[in-house]
Amino acid sequence: MENVATHEDWKVCFSELAPGLVLFARQWVRSPADAEDVVQDAFVRFWRRNLSIKNRALLYAAVRSAALDLIRRDNRRARREVEVFGEAERSVQPQFEQLDDSQRQLVAALDHLPRDQREVLVMKIWNELTFAEIGEALGVSQNTAASRYRYGLAALKKTFQPQ
Amino acid sequence: MNEELENELKKLRPVRPSAELISRVERALADAGETGAKIIRPERFRVNWLGLGLGLAAAATFLILARVDFRPTEKTKQTNVSATPSLQQKAAALPNYQATGLTQVVYSKRDEGLVFPRGAEGPSRRVRTAKRETFRWRDRQSGAQLAVSYPTEEVTLIPVSGQ
Repeated sequence: MENVATHEDWKVCFSELAPGLVLFARQWVRSPADAEDVVQDAFVRFWRRNLSIKNRALLYAAVRSAALDLIRRDNRRARREVEVFGEAERSVQPQFEQLDDSQRQLVAALDHLPRDQREVLVMKIWNELTFAEIGEALGVSQNTAASRYRYGLAALKKTFQPQ
Repeated sequence: MNEELENELKKLRPVRPSAELISRVERALADAGETGAKIIRPERFRVNWLGLGLGLAAAATFLILARVDFRPTEKTKQTNVSATPSLQQKAAALPNYQATGLTQVVYSKRDEGLVFPRGAEGPSRRVRTAKRETFRWRDRQSGAQLAVSYPTEEVTLIPVSGQ
C-alpha cells in the first residue's frame, strides 16, 4: 500500500486529523501532554510503515495501541489515571473548547459513559469515521460498533436534555 | 432525538493540540527518514511470470524433442519382474525341489458384520481372517529342505439370507 500523501503535505493531513486524534488518545490518557506523545508516536510509526493516510482505521488503531502501550509501560501512572479519572485534571484541562453550562453537562455525561461506547462516539462524531472503519480500528464487527454507538447515545439521552 | 443529540455533540470542538506538536512530529519524521534510509529491506517475493513462462516453454520443447517416454519398456518390465520373483517362479527355478507341504495357522478371525457389496442381491457377512502360511520344498537328490513362511489376510464374504 503506497502512501498517497507526500512528505510536503503530511502537515496538512496531520493538522486536520490531530485534534480528533488527540481527543481519541485522551480517552485512555487524561493528560493532554501524554495524549500528544501518543499521537506523535503513533503517527510517526504509521508514516514510517508507508501506510496510506486514507486508511484511517489503521491510524486510529495505531493511536489506540500506542495509548495502551503507554499505560502498560507505566502501571503507576495508569493507576493514577484511573484514580483521578477526571475530576481535577478534567476541569483544568478540558477536552473541548469554550463550553457553556449545557455543553459542560453534556461533556460530563459523555465522561461517564463506558469506555467502549465513548471511544466509538469520539471516532464517529469528532473524527467522522464510518462504522466499518471504527470496527476495523477496534477489532470488532461493524454491527458491534453501531450498537455501541446507539447504546452510547441512549445513555447520554438519559442524563442530558438539550436546552 | 438522536439527530438533535448528535448535533449538540458536534457543536463541541476538541481542544487544538499544542503548536509544538507539529514541529515535534516533523523532527521525529526527519529522524525516522534518516534511520529508515539505513535500513536494508529485503525485496519482496514476486513471481517472475516471464521467467516462469520461458522455463515452462523450454521444458515442453525438451520433452517434445527428446520424446521422453515415461511408460515402462519391456526391458524395465523384465527387470521389475525379476526383482520380485513369486514363489512359483522360485520353485520353477529349482527343478529338483518338490513341494512337500503347506501349513496354514489361523491366529485371528474377526466378524466385521453385515456389508452390502455392489452388485450383490443381498447383504453379506464379512469375515476377516489372519493366517500364517508356510510352504515347504524338498530336494529330491540331496534331501535339502526349503521352507517359506509369510503372514496373509483373507476377507470372506458370506451371503446372508433373511428368514
